[in-house]
Amino acid sequence: MDAKRNMAKAPQLREGGTRQMEGMDLESVIECARGHDGEALGEIYRRYVRRVIGLCRYMLDSRESAEDAASEVFLKLQRSIESYDGSIPFPRWLLRVAGNQCIDVLRRRQRGRKVFMEVPDGAAVMEAASSEPSPLGAVISMEERVQVRDTIARLPENYRVPLVLRYYSEMSYDEIARQLDLERNYVAALIFRAKQELRRRLPHRSK
Amino acid sequence: MECYSEQTYALLADGELAADETRRLRDHLATCWRCQKLVDALRAENHVLIESLNELPEEAASPAGFSLRRWSLGWSDLAIMAALLALGSIVSVWFDELSIPAALEWFNPFSPGGRTNLIFSFFYYFAHGGTAMLADYAAVVGWICLLLLLGGSALLLGRRGRLRHPGLRLLIVLLTLSLPGLALDRRHADFVTVAANETVDDTLVAAASIVRVDGVVNGDLIAIARTVEVRGTIKGDLITAASRTEVSGTVEGNIYTLSHTLELYGQLGHSIYGAVQSLHVDDRGHVGQGVVMAVGDANLEGEVKRSVNMVISESGDVSGHIGRDLTMIGGNRGGLMLTDTARVGGNLSAHVRQLKNVHIAEGATIAGKRDIQLNVRESRFTRPRFYVHQALWLAGAMLVGWLGLLLFPSFFQAATQLVGSGWRSLGLGFAVLVGAPVAMIVIAITLVGLPISIILFEVYLAGIYLAKVWVGAFLGRTILRPSGTTKGDWVLGLLVGLLILTVIGFIPYLGGLVHFGVVCLGLGAFAAQLYRASRPVM
Repeated sequence: MDAKRNMAKAPQLREGGTRQMEGMDLESVIECARGHDGEALGEIYRRYVRRVIGLCRYMLDSRESAEDAASEVFLKLQRSIESYDGSIPFPRWLLRVAGNQCIDVLRRRQRGRKVFMEVPDGAAVMEAASSEPSPLGAVISMEERVQVRDTIARLPENYRVPLVLRYYSEMSYDEIARQLDLERNYVAALIFRAKQELRRRLPHRSK
Repeated sequence: MECYSEQTYALLADGELAADETRRLRDHLATCWRCQKLVDALRAENHVLIESLNELPEEAASPAGFSLRRWSLGWSDLAIMAALLALGSIVSVWFDELSIPAALEWFNPFSPGGRTNLIFSFFYYFAHGGTAMLADYAAVVGWICLLLLLGGSALLLGRRGRLRHPGLRLLIVLLTLSLPGLALDRRHADFVTVAANETVDDTLVAAASIVRVDGVVNGDLIAIARTVEVRGTIKGDLITAASRTEVSGTVEGNIYTLSHTLELYGQLGHSIYGAVQSLHVDDRGHVGQGVVMAVGDANLEGEVKRSVNMVISESGDVSGHIGRDLTMIGGNRGGLMLTDTARVGGNLSAHVRQLKNVHIAEGATIAGKRDIQLNVRESRFTRPRFYVHQALWLAGAMLVGWLGLLLFPSFFQAATQLVGSGWRSLGLGFAVLVGAPVAMIVIAITLVGLPISIILFEVYLAGIYLAKVWVGAFLGRTILRPSGTTKGDWVLGLLVGLLILTVIGFIPYLGGLVHFGVVCLGLGAFAAQLYRASRPVM
């Protein structure tokens, strides 16, 4: 054990080192993290762990599995960050990675099958009936935002997952379709239906 | 021109339409105000969605909420740990500065090893050997314990609304131990075993030299033994006070333990709580939730699904997987080490005295932040808490002195005067300080003398605490030289004396020596005065 202990590297932490990282701009932190700098990876964790857990919480049913998924995202980040090319903002990229991690978890639960099946009811060509509630109002208060969030969290999984991937992870329809192994049209229909379901559940918000 | 469907406009609002289609829709929107209004509303709705989702729900998503829950768990965990360690730590503070000859070290109940051994021997002896002799005595103690527990828990319940889970468990354990007649499966022998084909449907309470479970216990297993081995399955919790606890089978609940050694080769459904000298989670070992422990040596090779919080006195080695945060405090002798195979799914926090005590291998994976804090000892004077603590200490001593003087005026004043006999008190005090623990242990071993020993121990602790009061009062009197001998003079002298003693106490080395001298002097005066007071008046 002693030999192992001697071989192990002492931590490269200086007093105030953490503070330095906190003030650094994101590009430099990412650059350091690419060089397997543990401190930089830790800084990324500090900045984005809330958002990542937030996404996982919407995507997965239990807090426990959401936290597991978030941990997994950051554990893999050391390697996965090499594939980040800067073409999209880093937070968006990270949320996509997290979204994919959650989809993996969902898929594993289905024993490798699709996360959810396409229902052959022609949803893709669904037209809006005139009786459907209209879109949610633009200006909403803090309490109402909480309501919207809670309602989203309670939507059925096949509505919730695409909706969250679209508006939280900011994935495109194509990306969502690819990740969920669904037709693009079907994804569009699911998102559309999800919104209508949301409006129905938040009646006083739609005008 | 005909209007398009809302779904098509939704695609437009999401920017998901092809360029030519977008153009066609734009042309239509330019002429149709109703459709334009719909598209505006859809865009606003998207904005609301993004805004709502991105503002993190405190409860649902934020790790702040998550850590809040963990902290509330942490408090009750801490309460249990405090309860387990309270006695030991109170005593060890006093005895840190004493040096006991190496030849007597095995007998020293205040060294970490000796202390744990003593506790286990005591538990074992108490539960196993002496029940026949102690039947009457145990009944009395049991009732007193029960009354105290009921009173205490009523108080707690009243104050806190409800008892938290681990606290409740501890209470149940104590209750089961103090009540002889509960409907439990109680086994009592040298060797208690649940055979491989046997199933115990109740909670099993076992006191033995070796407790071995090869079969299934459907309730909890509460065991007091030298060795507890779980090779089979325990569906409830495993609660042990043992020299060695070994789990190679499955425990579906928690492990609450006060052991010298805890070895986990098997599967644990929930968490481990307790204090052990040596903790080893083998690479086959799996902890379903977390670890909250005070340990001497910790070696984690297996998997812990949630957080690990350990106060470590010697060394901590982690080469396994930890799902969430890893917090280690201490490890000042052997250091804290994460090997190449270590994986931490959350933050790593270590509180150490020196940076060189922490070794993190390059291959170790830590998802979160590495927060290594140095506990610099010298900085205690800069912390306000220190002064508050000192003020409380002083106020406490003053209060005790004043109360003592009110209740036993002649005893306290005489003891103060006896401090003046100098070397005689010092010598007597030293003899009492060293001799009393030995005497108490000898008396305790006879079992019949156990209550006497406990009373002696309490008097001993009280004497050590009061020592500074008498010495302080004497010192104050010597300096102030008051004309009278009123209580006011005595208390004023006490204040001055205690202040001086407190200040001297902070001088390195000399402070410790003076502190030791004060304890000896005061204890000597106390013993002499006790002797005098107990002698019939001539």
